[in-house]
Amino acid sequence: LQALQKVNERLLEENPAESLLFDVILITTDSQQQQQSSRVISSTRHYGLEVSRFCFSSEEDFIESLQKNNVKLFLTTDTNEVTQASQTGVVSVLLDQQTAVCSSEQLRVMFCGDAVIRPDTGPMPLTRQAAQSFSTQLGEMRQKFGMFDSPLSFILVTSHGGRESCRGALQMLRSRGVSVDEAYCLAGAPRGPMLSLLQPHFLLRDGYSGLEE
Amino acid sequence: MVKMSLDPVQVMSGQVKELKVATSSNGDSRGSWDEKEEFDQDHLGLTTKPKPALETVNARLRELYPQSEELFDIVLVTYNHAHVGIRLINTINHHNLFIERFCMTGGSSPIGYLKAWHTNLYLSADSEKVREALAEGIAAATMFMPEKLTEVSESQLRVAFDGDAVLFSDESERIFKAHGLDKFFEHEKDNEDTLLDHGPLKGFLEALGKLQKKFYAKGQRLDCPIRTYLVTARSAASSGIRALKTLRAWGLEIDEALFLAGARKGPMLEKIRPHIYFDDQMFHVEGAAEMGTIAAHVPYGIAQKHNPKQKSSVAK
Repeated sequence: LQALQKVNERLLEENPAESLLFDVILITTDSQQQQQSSRVISSTRHYGLEVSRFCFSSEEDFIESLQKNNVKLFLTTDTNEVTQASQTGVVSVLLDQQTAVCSSEQLRVMFCGDAVIRPDTGPMPLTRQAAQSFSTQLGEMRQKFGMFDSPLSFILVTSHGGRESCRGALQMLRSRGVSVDEAYCLAGAPRGPMLSLLQPHFLLRDGYSGLEE
Repeated sequence: MVKMSLDPVQVMSGQVKELKVATSSNGDSRGSWDEKEEFDQDHLGLTTKPKPALETVNARLRELYPQSEELFDIVLVTYNHAHVGIRLINTINHHNLFIERFCMTGGSSPIGYLKAWHTNLYLSADSEKVREALAEGIAAATMFMPEKLTEVSESQLRVAFDGDAVLFSDESERIFKAHGLDKFFEHEKDNEDTLLDHGPLKGFLEALGKLQKKFYAKGQRLDCPIRTYLVTARSAASSGIRALKTLRAWGLEIDEALFLAGARKGPMLEKIRPHIYFDDQMFHVEGAAEMGTIAAHVPYGIAQKHNPKQKSSVAK
């Protein structure tokens, strides 16, 4: 959240009239939390977290809430929620312990380049479309900053395949308006150590629901 | 697995960049992965010359151990921004460099990645980065390319090392510099049975040794495609003994130990024709490069604090 806020701050610095900003919604289906809604709200204020909307919904309705609010990226620690949301075409990401150690100064988004979308594979599943349009928007945001010292950074990791598959991924992302900052072609090397080093806030798997691997 | 990381910056911008030869240390139980050695360097020769030998080593390892992923692996590491990523890959293709793994860190120091890649050896043209790596306990050396490369074998990879301050610590060199030759001899004699401490490239020799043992295990000792050399100013009759005893105690074999007793290294290297030679003294590194050998400077130990261009070697 802090990293997202950093991006917003810098975007507004570049252009005070900027409209392409991150808008953060806090959604909870926990009835206990809902009863203490004022505590939730004041807690976020206390931690300096800029939440523009609070959404208290039931477990059955939360998908509807996501859609009603036109959510482009859903972050949660609950695997079920990730599955459910993905199935309805919302790009969903599972947060874990790793996320807690990530930077609050730079938002680091990782693209997993192994699933390269081939343009001729018929109608695209909802999630793919959503992931693509979200990446394009991120790409647009990234363009507002220079090559270095950007509060938003894109990392490409291709786990399998050699440099050709990495090149393909770079080209594909570029065609979507996503200019990558760091690229790692692992060609079968273990991802673990690299991920711990790279510390992305979240991973976008191009074309998958986010639950692969 | 022997992983080498290289910095291809040179290739892109014409500046000298680091060659990281990252070799992975063995014992990665998570599923070892292929280690191939690849050299990327601004000067084509650096990549071209060792390549056939490296490919031979890997090909023969695969023949003998089809399931194993313990091979030479070269990883290119650069602090380039990925917006030149496609260009970089095209360049690799164009020069037919055998590199399948790489890191473009977009500005941050590649040193952290060396560890993540389990680097056995880091080669770079940037001595600062090399020092950083050494400080992190990673075997590293600064590359020096000769103007003209001598022919090297395509079927056997030959790696030559200086002894003191490369394979071994610089303790003896310190004695020599502080107290002179006689004291040095005395010290070595007195401590003949005491092991020398290890130097920055000991681990790399070890990694090479592991690969060699794989050939020995299949009865290919005489025809091993990896050969190691010790080229030292120590003399066989006296101070060299301690070096040999130390290697033996470490369980490391070196194929040929050449005790020069102070003679120039150039002619010896010319005879051996190693694909790469490691030394801690710039004088020797430059001498090797002049003779057409790819030389790598290990900026470690007492020799760095003194005038690196000594005009004469002294018999040790």
